[in-house]
Amino acid sequence: MKKKIVAVVLVIALMACCLAVFASCSKKQTDAEYILGKGTLVCGVTLYEPMNYADDEGEMTGFDTEFAEAVCAKLGIKAKFQVIKWSSKEIELNSKYIDCIWNGFTVNEERKQQVSFTQSYLNNTQCVVIKSSNAANFTNAEACAGMRAAAEAGSAGESAAKGLTAEANVTSVAAQITALTEVTSGTADFAVVDVILANSMVGKGAYSDLQIATGIQLEAEEYAVGFRKGSDMVEKVNKVIDELLADGTLLTIAQKYGVDGQLITK
Amino acid sequence: MSFIEVTKQLLSGFGTTCLLFILTILFALPLGLIICFGSMTRFKPLRYLTRAFVWIIRGTPLMLQLFVVFYVPGMLFDSPIFAQLENGRFIAALIAFVINYGCYFSEIYRGGIESISKGQYEACAVLGMTKTQTFFHVVLPQVVKRIIPPMSNEIITLVKDTSLARVIAVIDIIFAAEMILSLRALLWPLFYAGAFYLVFNGVLTLLFGYVEKRLDYYKV
Repeated sequence: MKKKIVAVVLVIALMACCLAVFASCSKKQTDAEYILGKGTLVCGVTLYEPMNYADDEGEMTGFDTEFAEAVCAKLGIKAKFQVIKWSSKEIELNSKYIDCIWNGFTVNEERKQQVSFTQSYLNNTQCVVIKSSNAANFTNAEACAGMRAAAEAGSAGESAAKGLTAEANVTSVAAQITALTEVTSGTADFAVVDVILANSMVGKGAYSDLQIATGIQLEAEEYAVGFRKGSDMVEKVNKVIDELLADGTLLTIAQKYGVDGQLITK
Repeated sequence: MSFIEVTKQLLSGFGTTCLLFILTILFALPLGLIICFGSMTRFKPLRYLTRAFVWIIRGTPLMLQLFVVFYVPGMLFDSPIFAQLENGRFIAALIAFVINYGCYFSEIYRGGIESISKGQYEACAVLGMTKTQTFFHVVLPQVVKRIIPPMSNEIITLVKDTSLARVIAVIDIIFAAEMILSLRALLWPLFYAGAFYLVFNGVLTLLFGYVEKRLDYYKV
């Protein structure tokens, strides 16, 4: 019996050794060498207008899509778009299934601990979305106090919502769009979401009864591309963004998708 | 977005759902039997190892297991093994589902096998049957019959559980519906997707009812 136990232990030890060898096999190379070496930049995206979405033929399009393609063309590599779950974006990045998060990614301090951002390219603000029938009650920020709010977990909108009403009144949901659904269904009085998303969603389809509360101004924020923490790709991409800004390519793309008003031209 | 377009997109997601379901069943059924033998073996280290494994798999959320299978190789060993494959995400999901359901099935098998009375084994021994013959010709047919109700339970749960694969961005029918929701602000495709599950499970229920009836020929 003892011999058998020893055998089992040995087998486990052997497997552990194999794993260790397997792990040390991967060569040490910088992130840029890794990405340029394989010739594709895998961008983690979620599909939403006007950033990344499929057109009628099923082709990927949108502001971020064309932007990423333009940057990659300059770097001599191909852009690939991988649909991910937004809540798993950092884990996708760190496990190397995607090389960057390029999907209207808001810069904030917590995220800076996890990812390395490029320069910001688009201004965004959070906005309060309410039922149109309720518009008279939401004329200013004070009106939100004591109301029930919904916002995406971990989003900039969530922290903004907590500033507007008591923390206990804020429901954290899985996606920005779910926050809108909460308002439509009446389980929340208002939602705090990206203005770029809100502009393309409210007033149509399932959200035809919603509108942006125009009297409430929230803090401005910026979108940037997120790479793995400490990646040397940031520098390379920044340089290309500068070039695209200088020759007007980025402005043209922004105009095409109606976000030129928010473009950061420095 | 028209009804036909939505149906088309949901159908392509439903294809993934069905494929994941069928392949999971195909691999998990035999794997369950192997795990079951492991947890019933008289060789103690293997028995404890298998039971500990079953405990971990049944005791942790399937969602976490999907994460571990898909993300951990890339995070700990710097080698995203599923990235090179065309359907890497699907294969990762399949592996997680097969292991998870293999463990659940193994316990159903164990219950079935242990329900066979000792007298039958003794009778087989008297008739001079080998252990293998006893198991495959006498025990297993009765086990199959007895475990059909709990199995059908587990299998119907599996149909719905496949939607969990979307946490690693496998585009199944629910994820397809969610994407329509976030792109077009249409809520109804999500409920429409529910109808697909309902019909599919309806067919499965009828199928299991039929199988149970066909196996009704011997009473134990």
